[in-house]
Amino acid sequence: MLLLLGVMAFTIFEPIQVLPRIRLAPGYAMTDQTGARLTSEDMRGQITLYSFGYTHCGEACDAVNATMAGVAERRDEVDLGGAELRFVTVSFDPERDTAPALAAYASQIGADGDMWRLAAPAPDLTKAIVGSGFRTWYEPREAGSFAFDPTLVLVDGWGVVRGEYRYQTVASDVDKLIRHIDILGEEIRNSHGAATVAYEAAHFFLCYP
Amino acid sequence: MTKIAGWVLVIVGLAAIAWFGVLPRVRPHIFHGTVIQSSTAAPAVDLISHEGERVSLEDFEGEVVVIYFGYTFCPDVCPATLADLDEALELMGDGAEDVRVIMVSVDPERDTPEVLARYVPAFNDDFVGLTGTRQEVAQLATVYGVYFEKRDVEGAAGYLVDHTASFLVVDKSGFLKLVLPFGTSPEDIADDLAYLAG
Repeated sequence: MLLLLGVMAFTIFEPIQVLPRIRLAPGYAMTDQTGARLTSEDMRGQITLYSFGYTHCGEACDAVNATMAGVAERRDEVDLGGAELRFVTVSFDPERDTAPALAAYASQIGADGDMWRLAAPAPDLTKAIVGSGFRTWYEPREAGSFAFDPTLVLVDGWGVVRGEYRYQTVASDVDKLIRHIDILGEEIRNSHGAATVAYEAAHFFLCYP
Repeated sequence: MTKIAGWVLVIVGLAAIAWFGVLPRVRPHIFHGTVIQSSTAAPAVDLISHEGERVSLEDFEGEVVVIYFGYTFCPDVCPATLADLDEALELMGDGAEDVRVIMVSVDPERDTPEVLARYVPAFNDDFVGLTGTRQEVAQLATVYGVYFEKRDVEGAAGYLVDHTASFLVVDKSGFLKLVLPFGTSPEDIADDLAYLAG
């Protein structure tokens, strides 16, 4: 009997890996590289990978941009059960990063404007969105440059932060991001019926990858 | 053969007891929205109440706080949500004593404390309306995951405010615990709030 229950528990809980629900991602309204509105509500129901930078960034943004492009290239490897994977690069230099500036930079880094958008918030809310909301540190320096902590943030369809990847402490890699996005996909695919119970319970066992 | 059948029956019976009898008791409460496992306290609130006083989350220490971002000109979603919340508290009976509902106005230009005082308590005497400067409200909404933006319309109202319609629950320890979507039934709201208040 114990053995049977053990096998049942094993089959229910063992294969489940979950990403922690870290905090709420910020609510926002920004302007993208086409001049269109981009809001946090547009991202509801989709999985979104965010990065942060500015168009005058130079080499400091190369690693993050390459990671975004690398994940975008391999997005077909994950099954998100009907949801889509989106990419948003948020500028913390909204005065200079107008729609045309973002458009020029987008073509430079390979952001197609549909799946991967570049956007800038209103100047008076940039700190609240990028700093307080996404917890990404940046600070203006001389000659129009910024010091910042290159970060990627993974947000689920509920607007909840499920992963944070900081280059300063943990080198992010595309494999890991794909694996984590796949875990979110599995969560979406199992979001009905009895499996939901196991998923909710899994959060209590802290099986974080 | 009969012996084997007997054992199978016993095993099936025990499994049924485990599944239907024990599991529902030991499994965690299943919330009707999204649970947040935040390791830090809910973002600080510092706004003016409909009674004209500065209010922060610390004022409601030991209470479950429901935070809703809405506005008094709101044609449908906001009154429906506030009415649902009132009904949920009614369903909870005495348990509702430890629950506080706050509506933060996303239209602070029009929603002065006086305007909120005519609107929010009409749903429930214990509900609190909060307002502030546009910047204060925008910063608070941002960190609570709420988007809002004015949209011009024809007619007397002049404009409406598009906003995130879900509402948030801060637990008794001051941690943001739960996001409930618009349209959650009063019964489901009451179920989750009773669990958090208990």
